[in-house]
Amino acid sequence: MRMEAWIFGMCTAFFVLVTPSYWFITGDPTGTSALVMTTLLAALIAFYLGFHASKMDARPEDRIDAEIAEGAGELGFFPPYSWWPLWCASTAAVIVFGMAMGQWWLAIIGTAFGFVALTQWVFEYYKGDHAH
Amino acid sequence: MAPVATSTAVIPASRLHGHHDRPSMVSVGTIVWLASELMFFAALFAAYFTIRSVSPELWAQDTALLNVPFATGNTIILVLSSVTCQLGVFAAERGQVGRTGSVLNVGGWGLREWFILTYVMGAVFIGGQALEYAELVHEGVTLASSAYGSMFYLTTGFHGLHVTGGLIAFLYVLGRTYLARKFTHEQAVTAIVVSYYWHFVDVVWIGLFATIYLLK
Repeated sequence: MRMEAWIFGMCTAFFVLVTPSYWFITGDPTGTSALVMTTLLAALIAFYLGFHASKMDARPEDRIDAEIAEGAGELGFFPPYSWWPLWCASTAAVIVFGMAMGQWWLAIIGTAFGFVALTQWVFEYYKGDHAH
Repeated sequence: MAPVATSTAVIPASRLHGHHDRPSMVSVGTIVWLASELMFFAALFAAYFTIRSVSPELWAQDTALLNVPFATGNTIILVLSSVTCQLGVFAAERGQVGRTGSVLNVGGWGLREWFILTYVMGAVFIGGQALEYAELVHEGVTLASSAYGSMFYLTTGFHGLHVTGGLIAFLYVLGRTYLARKFTHEQAVTAIVVSYYWHFVDVVWIGLFATIYLLK
């Protein structure tokens, strides 16, 4: 992960140089605000990757002597199927549509269904057959 | 919950153990998403500074109405809630979900106790902000009253919505720990990524507080 941290670190260094230059040349508050936050965006990811790179062992893809087989195994938990993201997105659409149209009753109904959908999504692998 | 069917499904190993050589994909994804959230707030900051630069007279007139000491107290509560949140994460990392002694023995607190305290502090922050809004509306500063009002409520309001989202996330983290009898790696990762989000929202607030209440 050291390499990824370096890539984002170099982006951070670039924005650290560009942002004050932009401010001194143009005096434009809009672009300067955006550049300050872009600097932080790159710095956040660089810091995160660098922090973990210093605390963890090198991954197979970080080592020159690694074998393909070392990268095998489970990388994470990927639910095989779930309908709840669809319902979460649908209810979010109803809420935003209700707000945009000034129809607050619709947003409230959407929130109620959204609460059910999100709860089912978060707890889907914690109940029924998956209870543990 | 019915005491049946607990052994029918085998829990995938990835939900039980982490890797020694790479962070969880969930936390990497959360960090990348938070970086993109920074861009959302970049738009709000850019709008705030742009309108401020073209109408300084509005700022001179309306910022005088802000209750800076009150907002400072509220800010301190939010910053401290990040500390309690992190203590909860430390408990999760040692695999301690609940407290070991009495509630009064803070040293023995687990993830649940720290996250409940964090939740309460976050809720106090939102309550304080609602009070502040009520006071400002009383003074005649509303979303539609002027460009200053629009920017004040848009920036602090979107931040408040983020804090509210974090509060809901805390409830779901707690719900998972109560629903499962076993404290898994997955639950620890859930607690950690919610803490990333909470620290992020806290840092954004420090930026907003400095911009709105200190810089004016």
